[in-house]
This record gives sequence, C-alpha cells and structure tokens, in this order.
Amino acid sequence: MAKLFAAIDVGSYELNLGIYEFGQDKMRIIDNVKYRLDLGTDSYSKGKLPADKIEELCRILNEFYRIMRGYRVSDYKAYGTSAIRETRNTRILLDQIEQRTGIHVDVLSNSEQRFLDYKSVASKGREFTQTIEKSTAIVDIGGGSIQLSLFAKDKLDVTQNMKLGVLRLQERLTELDVTPARYDELLEEMIGSQLAVFEKLYLRGRSIDNLIIVDDYISPITWSRTKDSDTPGFVTAERFMAFFTRIREMDPVEFCRRYGIAPENMSQVYIAATLIRSVVSVMSAKTIWAPGVTLSDGIAYEYGERKKLIVIDHDFEGDIIACSRSISRRYMGDDKREQTLENICMAIFDSMKKVTGLSKRDRLLLRIATILHDCGKYISLYNVAQSSYDIIMATEIIGLSETEREIVAGVVKYNHVYMDYDIERTAISGRGEEVYMRIAKLAAILRIANGLDKSQKQKFNAIKASLKDDTLVITVRTNKDITLEKGMFEKRADFFEEIFCVRPVIKQIAKI
Amino acid sequence: MNKITVNAPENFRNRELSWVEFDRRVLSEAKDERNPLFERLKFLSITASNLDEFFMIRVASLKDMENAGVKKRDIAGMTPKEQLKALGRTTHELVAEQYDTYGVLTGELKKAGYNIVRDTEGLNKKQCEFVDRFFADYVYPVLTPMAVDSSRPFPLIRNKSLNIGALVRSRTGDKDEIEFVTVQVPSVLPRLVEIPGEKSGRTMLLLESIIERNIDRLFLNYEILSVAMFRIMRNADLEIDEEEAADLLKEIEKQIKKRQWGEAIRLEVEKGIDDRLLGILKSELMIKKEEIYEIDGPLDLTFLMKLYGVEGAEEYKAKGHKPNPVPELPEGGDIFASIRKGDILMHHPYQSFEPVVRFVKSASVDPDVLAIKQTLYRVSGNSPIIAALAEAAENGKQVTVLVELKARFDEENNIVWARKLEQAGCHVIYGLVGLKTHSKITLVVRMEEDGIRRYVHLGTGNYNDSTAKIYTDVGLFTCKETYGEDATALFNMLSGYSEPATWNRLSVAPLWLKDKFLYLIGREKEHAQAGRPAHIIAKMNSLCDPDIITALYEASMAGVKIELIVRGICSLKVGIPGISENISVRSIVGDYLEHSRIFYFENNKKPEYYCGSADWMPRNLERRVEILFPVEDEALRKKLKHILDTELKDTVKAHILTDDGRYVKHVVRGKDKGINSQLQFWKEADSEGRSLISKKIDNEVMVTRRFTPEEHK
Repeated sequence: MAKLFAAIDVGSYELNLGIYEFGQDKMRIIDNVKYRLDLGTDSYSKGKLPADKIEELCRILNEFYRIMRGYRVSDYKAYGTSAIRETRNTRILLDQIEQRTGIHVDVLSNSEQRFLDYKSVASKGREFTQTIEKSTAIVDIGGGSIQLSLFAKDKLDVTQNMKLGVLRLQERLTELDVTPARYDELLEEMIGSQLAVFEKLYLRGRSIDNLIIVDDYISPITWSRTKDSDTPGFVTAERFMAFFTRIREMDPVEFCRRYGIAPENMSQVYIAATLIRSVVSVMSAKTIWAPGVTLSDGIAYEYGERKKLIVIDHDFEGDIIACSRSISRRYMGDDKREQTLENICMAIFDSMKKVTGLSKRDRLLLRIATILHDCGKYISLYNVAQSSYDIIMATEIIGLSETEREIVAGVVKYNHVYMDYDIERTAISGRGEEVYMRIAKLAAILRIANGLDKSQKQKFNAIKASLKDDTLVITVRTNKDITLEKGMFEKRADFFEEIFCVRPVIKQIAKI
Repeated sequence: MNKITVNAPENFRNRELSWVEFDRRVLSEAKDERNPLFERLKFLSITASNLDEFFMIRVASLKDMENAGVKKRDIAGMTPKEQLKALGRTTHELVAEQYDTYGVLTGELKKAGYNIVRDTEGLNKKQCEFVDRFFADYVYPVLTPMAVDSSRPFPLIRNKSLNIGALVRSRTGDKDEIEFVTVQVPSVLPRLVEIPGEKSGRTMLLLESIIERNIDRLFLNYEILSVAMFRIMRNADLEIDEEEAADLLKEIEKQIKKRQWGEAIRLEVEKGIDDRLLGILKSELMIKKEEIYEIDGPLDLTFLMKLYGVEGAEEYKAKGHKPNPVPELPEGGDIFASIRKGDILMHHPYQSFEPVVRFVKSASVDPDVLAIKQTLYRVSGNSPIIAALAEAAENGKQVTVLVELKARFDEENNIVWARKLEQAGCHVIYGLVGLKTHSKITLVVRMEEDGIRRYVHLGTGNYNDSTAKIYTDVGLFTCKETYGEDATALFNMLSGYSEPATWNRLSVAPLWLKDKFLYLIGREKEHAQAGRPAHIIAKMNSLCDPDIITALYEASMAGVKIELIVRGICSLKVGIPGISENISVRSIVGDYLEHSRIFYFENNKKPEYYCGSADWMPRNLERRVEILFPVEDEALRKKLKHILDTELKDTVKAHILTDDGRYVKHVVRGKDKGINSQLQFWKEADSEGRSLISKKIDNEVMVTRRFTPEEHK
C-alpha cells in the first residue's frame, strides 16, 4: 500500500504544502497547495512577525493540517526558511505555531535549504542524472540570496551563496530611486560585480554546458512554454536570450497577459530574468533546464531517502564530501594526508560503532572534519586550532545545518587543543550537552588518528581496528619506524579512553 | 483588409437585438404546425417568461446606463439609448406576434376540446353560479382591494404581479369624483380555473375574469366605470448585471443608489383600456409611452405552462422519452472500475444523468475514498447530490463544495442547502470575489492498492438532475492523471490558494481560456494560409465576444471553413463580403434546450476536440471561472463529431442565419420529414439502451436455463 507524506515549507513570501505518495520505490506529488503570505518583509526589517501575520500563518497551517488529515498522511515534515530563521524570537514563534496548529516546524539553515533545493532537482531522476553528466551549474534564486553551484564529474564541487536575491535587488533599486532608463544598467552592475568575483575564484575559464535554474519566477514560464515539447523544461540559451529581449522590449501589460504573470510580480520576473541572463553569459551555458521543482519536493525526496522509500542513484554524501574537498583545496589542504586520516578515522569509527552511540550522520561529519582538519594552517601555523575553527564557521558547507557545521568546527579545533570540561566555556556553548558530547567523541577519534599520522608520511595507510572488550586494537602493517607516532599516541589515547572507556593500542605487524 | 475594418461596428450585431431574434425563434416553434399543440403552448409560454427575464436583467441594465448618462457604444456601435429605442420597437413587434400566435393556439385548443374563456358574459347559468361560488369561497378571502385618494397614496404594485385596475365613482359621496382602485390577482390561486363545460371538452376560465365579473363585490358603495388588467415590470434587481464592462459599473452603482426603489420599466395593459385609467397608471408609475404594451389577450402568458401540465392531454404532447442507461456504466456496477477501463462520454438527456449522481453517491460511502470536491451552480431542490455530499462528510471524508451564490434567481435556494452542507461538516466555499464560478467539475480522490487515483467528472451542464432531463449536455468521466492533477489544482485555486504554474489539460477562465480560444482559432488561420486543411465547428449557447468574433472573421478571411451552432445570442454576422463569407451560423431550438458547448478544430488533419462550460461571451471568458477540457480518446471524439455533424444536418429544428440577419428554417417538402437532430439522438440512444436491456434479459435467460432444470411430469 502506498504511503502518503506531507511536506510544508513556511517560506518568506509563500506557504507551500505538498502531499506526496511513496510506492513502488517511487515518489509522486499528489497535491500542491500554495498560499501567498509575506513573512519576509517584517522578519527581515523588524526581526519579528506582527500578530496579524502569525494569526494568518496559523490559520493557513490549520488549513494545511485539515488537508493532510483528509489525505490521511502517515507522516509530515515542516520547515521554516529565511523569514522564520531571521526572526529574533524564533523559539517563541515556533512554540506558538505548534501550540495553535499542532504542526512542529523546524528551521533550515541556508545550506540545508539549498541542499534540499538541490535534492528537489535530483528528484527529477533520469533528467537530472543525464544533465549532470556534462559540466553543469545550478542557480538557485531566492528572495534574499542566490546560490551558485558547480558540478565536476557529476558531483557538486563548488557552491557559493551571494546576496543577489530578487527581493533584495528589488529593494536596493527602490532605495536608489532610479529612473527606468537607468534601472537595467544598475541592475546589471550590481549582479555583474559579484559574478565577476565568482568567475575569478571558481570558473577560471571553465565552460558550463548546462545551467539548471531553481526559482519561482522564470521556471513556471519556461515550464508552461515547453510542457508539450519532447523535453519539457529545457530551452536553449538562444531561446532564453530571445525571451529576455522580449521581456525588455514588450509592453509590460501585454507581457504579463501573454505569459500569465500577475502584474505585481512583473518586476521580480524581470530581475530574475536579468540574473539568469548574467549567469548564462558568464558561464557561456548552452542549455537551460528549469525543472520546476519546489523546496517541498526536496523535503519529500529527503524523507523518502531517509526512510528508504525510494531508490536513489545519486550519492548526496558524495556531494557534501566533494564540496568539502573543494574548500580544503582553497586552503591548500593536502589530499593525500586527508585521505590517510580519513581511512584511519573511518576504521576506528566503524570498529567502535557499538560503544560510541554515534550515527551515520556523525560519520559524515567526521569525514568532513578530517578533510578540513588543518585548513587553518593557511592562515597561521601557530594558531591552527582557532584559525581552522574560524574558517569553517565562516564557510558554508552545503547540506549541513548550523549545528552540524559547529560540530565539524569543534572537532577540528579540539583535534589541536584540549577540550574544556566546562561546557559553557567551550566555543560551542549554547548548543547543549548532546552537541558537546558529539564533538568530544568525534574529536577523540580524530585526535588518535591524527596522532597515528603525526609524521604526515602516511605510514598508516593500511590499518585495521577491532574492539576487544575494553581495548581497541589498531593493527598497522608497516615496516616503517613508528616511534614518533607511538610516542604521540599515548597522550591522545588517554583522552580517547576518558571518553569511551576503551583503551586504544597500536599493534605493528611488519611485512615480511 | 486590415484589422480596423474587421472590427468595425457594422460587422457586429447588437446582442440584445440578437436575443430578441432568439425569442422569436422559440416563438416560431409555437407557430410550427408540425409540433403537437401542447408543445406549441409550452413554447409560447417560454417566450413570455424569457421576455420577462430579459426585461428584468438586460433592459433594466440598459436603463441604468441611460440614466447614468452613459454614451459608450456597444460592439455594434449603439449607445444605451439607441439600443433601448431599437429594442422597444422590436419587442413590441414580438409581443404582437406572441398574441397573434396565442389567438391561433386558443382556436386550435377549442377544436381539441379545451376552451379557454376570458369573457364571462357568454357563460351559461350553471357556469355563472359555479364561478360566483368559486369567487366567494376561494378568491374573495385572499383579495386585498385598494383605493387611491387623498388620504391613501398609490399602492406599491408588485413586480410581475397581475393586477386589475378600475375607475369607480362613489354612490354616496361626490358624484363627479372618479377614483382609482386596484386589486392584485392572487398568485396563490391557479390562474386557470376549470368550470363545468359543455358535454364534451373542458372549459377553463382565467382567474382575473372571475374577479373582474365580481369586482363590484369588492367596492360595494361604488359604481364601477371601467376595468382593465395591468402588469408592471420593475427594475428591482439590486445587483448590477455582470455583463456590463467593469469601468461602467462604478458609475452605474452610484446611479442605483440615487434611484428610487424599483423604477417601473414596462407596463402591460389590456387592449382597449380606458384612457383615463391608463393616464393614471402612466403618471403614477412614471412610465413612458414606448414602455407601455397594449395587449390583445390575457396578460402574462406563462400560465400556459400550467395548461401544459393538465392531465389527459397526452395525445397533444410530444412523445415522452426516458433517458437511456449509459452502456459503459451498467447499473449496479462499480462505477470506479468502469471509469478505470477508459474515459466515458455521456450525452444527456438522451443518456441518463443517473451515473453522475451515482458517482457522488458511491464515493460518499466508499471506504477508500478520501475526498470529494465539487462545484455547484444551480442544483435542484431535494438534490440527491447534496444529500450524498452531506453523507460523505458525515462518513469522515474531506468534502469541499464550491457553492455559487450568485447564480441568477437562485440565491435564496443556494443559501439554504449550502448551510445544510456546512452543518454536515463539508468545507463550503462561497465562490471567488468578483468571479462567478460557472465551471462544472467533480473530483473524487481514492486510495487504491497502487496508490492515489483521482476520478474526475467534467460537464457542460449544471449538477442538476432535474434540468439534466431537458437540457442537452455532455459530460466526461476520466481518471487520467493529467485531468486529476488539474482538477486538484483548480479546487486549490477556488479555495483561495495560488494558481498552479501550468495546467496539463484544462484551460481555465478568466485567466487562460480566452487566449486558448484565440490561439486555436489563430492556428486554423495559419493552417489555411499555408494551404493546409482548416475547419472550425463550434457549438455554444451564445456568441458575442468581440475578440473571438474578430478572430473568427480573420480566420474566415484566410479561408477557414467555420460552422457555428449557436442557440441564442449571436453578434457575428455572416456573409459580409470579404470578411465572413466562410462562416455559417445555425441555431437549434427544439424540445430540449441546447446547452452543450463543443468545439472542433481541424488542425491540419490532427483534429482537437474540446468541451466546456463557457460560451464565447465576455462574461464567460473574462468574469467567470470556467473550464474547457479536451476529449482525447478516439472513440469519444467520434461521438462528439457525430453530435456536431448531426446538428449540422438538422433540417427540422435548425434556423439558419442569413446575410440580412434573419433566421430561416429549411423548407421540407413532400414526404421528406427532414432530420431532427434531437429525435435522431433519441433514436440512437434508445436503440443502444434497448440492446443493453435485451442483453440483460438474454443473460437472465441463460442463467435460468443453466440453474433451473425443468421438471418432467
């Protein structure tokens, strides 16, 4: 029997409810209910939502609840995005919503949200896989910012957030109070300056074949114009440019009528079109694909992935790892060292599974921590711990929540320095004991792994770890001298033992 | 020829005048001797009720515009004042024709043994006694005679009521003073009273004649000088007609506030009315000369519909037809399983509307059904659909019903059952602000073994099991995912949520429908220009949208063959040299009200078929929520083509629009009975229905043979 799931997106200017059906390893959208409600304006400017907006929000969420009940959904997930995230009283607001509607809303960080958007594109299946076989970029246009991501060899490689959101640009242009004649010029200038930096840092002559667009402005138009074609959602760059010329030259009223756009959205459509045109030009993209997906699609897709309700070909963890490697490269990280460290860490993590209480997700965080473990060296060889921590905290890692990013930063930091017993005094204070313990456990593993490769000569490439009662035996097959490593190991082993009540020991087996 | 010329006012017919032409076509059915006598009475009655509605809505609206000083011209280039003037002329002619026909028909009735009597002077003694006793027992108690004098102002005469006015002189007071008195003919009593007649046949007397005969008993101390019937029509409609352009509405609204309640816009009086009496009515009602209709016969001919209903006149009526079962939806079968086998097209009333009711009923009790959503525009009293929806809600299903409260004349009725639905737990939506929801769609969401499946019914007619017996409509059942998705999106939109980015199959007014039609017509034009086959057949109730007509003219100019079947208003002109020579228009006025909207576009040998709820009128395309849906299955497309082809061949009930704007019927000569499309459809559906019944009997016989062994004695 098919299973029904509801995804709710409390967005900045729209509430969205998607009802999804999971059956036969597939996901299908059954219903999509959207309601325009501007939460962003108040949240961004005042940091709070006024009572009437909360009232309206709860009214619609109650309606959503009624619809969900009508479909007899077995589970749901509700997320708030930037408008909720940027309220100062987020906790109070979310509690109010839950009390009044029975719906529990979680808040997504920008990187989580963009990763879900990305998953929504991936939910398109074959079209997605085929598209990313060639060099591809995604531009995800939101109200406050845009996210530009590049693929390399069908993996996400680079992803960067830029404050070029449609509503933000619109607001800036309004503030500047420009005449229509200067409007285009200023808009292109604002977009161009930021894109130039992106181009310099990441593109460096790289050409992009396909551009995937995720937005609420141009995608619906593209979709409606191509839905009856053999390749719905796909247009050539030339066709898009021709469309852009039309939007620029046509009478706005006639344009809205012909393309079915509400006149009040015309300016946003224009800004989004200008953004896409600029990205297409910078990347010399040949094909544009508007899959016409929503955040709700991504929420449902992730749910299906987590509950193993759908068959997924794409390795999303691989994307997060690839992006982390890309960050590491930016700070001159050593690929080989990272790989050795990762191997050791994973061997220890897996052998300790029964006693650590850590999850698969923690395993991923540890992998990221190994990749970024000494990125701070780029800034200071003396103060690696703090520099690494600062870099990670200032860098968005796609797919991770803020807490997860803090965990990675914490693990990297306490790889280099001792952890304070006082939770309050640790840099990750305020995140609670559970987070403290996760950092401590992951840091303990990274610390002994780091100790084992102290010479950074990758002597421990082939290791095995096995847990026997209260001892973790790390078997190293090497003929090399590991005196240094053994020496460094003991101190680190104390911390490890303190955390897990398991004593790690090194057993060297020389190759004959 | 450029667009400006195509758009010129002389290329369009004023819609009001065209409407009068339609009523005249209905009247021609009353005149048509080939029709059974009582059917002719029915048609005559319909012309009268049609005309009443026309005055209350359209003429009233034009009066409002005239009063507001609106000079804006319609598509035919006429100002409201000019339209009223032209209408006055033509409606007077129409009324004269109505009463000529009435005269002919009463003669025919007499021959058939039904004697309608107006004049009581010719009654025999026995009849007089009966009438006077009837007056005393039944009529007198419900009458309220009213006199007008210095202390009693002119009374409020109710809209559409029939009244008797009289001039009287007091027997006791001032002998020179003539007073006006009036009494309303009570609507609670039947208009026709059967009185003891001759040996054979039946005699019926009009109620007003009974009162008139006894009027002195109402005004005891007065001498009756003169008596006459009168009836007024008021501009009492507080809502402005939606058909006016939005920019005019504000101005008119202001005027309405200023307007005295219920200004009289039409006065009907009995021919030969005393001038003094008429003078009083004219000045008291402030009515203009051209708004007075002197009638040579009984006022308000809608009573003829009551006569149609009398028992025992079956031989003078058309043979009744019973809607046939739909072969794809056998009675007692699983309706959802039937729809899963493939799309089903129904043609009502030839095929029964019962499956539609069954669809909702089955859904209401089916444990697998999660939700039922439906738009309701005009439903019958005691509607089984309403009952089923209420039951569904009580059974815990999500029931969403869009109730259109603005359905003309049905407001009160709608509010009553909408409340009923709410009480049962249905989610009732009362339409969209500023838009009348005219679309007819039902969605049933069902959880099945392999997941959610959506069943959709789309129709051209209302969910009204009563009118489904007399209106011709088509309906489609489908469970195709594309239709289901669109139906879901439509109900979300009607519930106040955002519209979807795109539609799969449905085209929805007011946002997308007109463009769709213009695109389809334009595409035929392009085909014709490129020398490819191009042909449009469109059947609807009314055609008066200027943009659509212009597009049709342009398509015609490009060589597209355009065949239109337009029952009512048609503002398009045929045979305009260089513009509309490739367009033909026919109107079918028969026993059943042609109501379906079917559209055929040849599309270079890849024909497309659409059905929908919308006419090609600005109000349908711009101010209503309407749906157009394609019919995709080949077998069903053939059915639609057959409907259109048969109607195009109709030589009995079709009126052909001529170049000079008149409608003429085919002349059927000799023994040729011609083709009556409605009868043809009945024959076909009956024969299909009969074969179903015989199959059923065959099956039963088979069963009998197999399981009941004969006994050997």
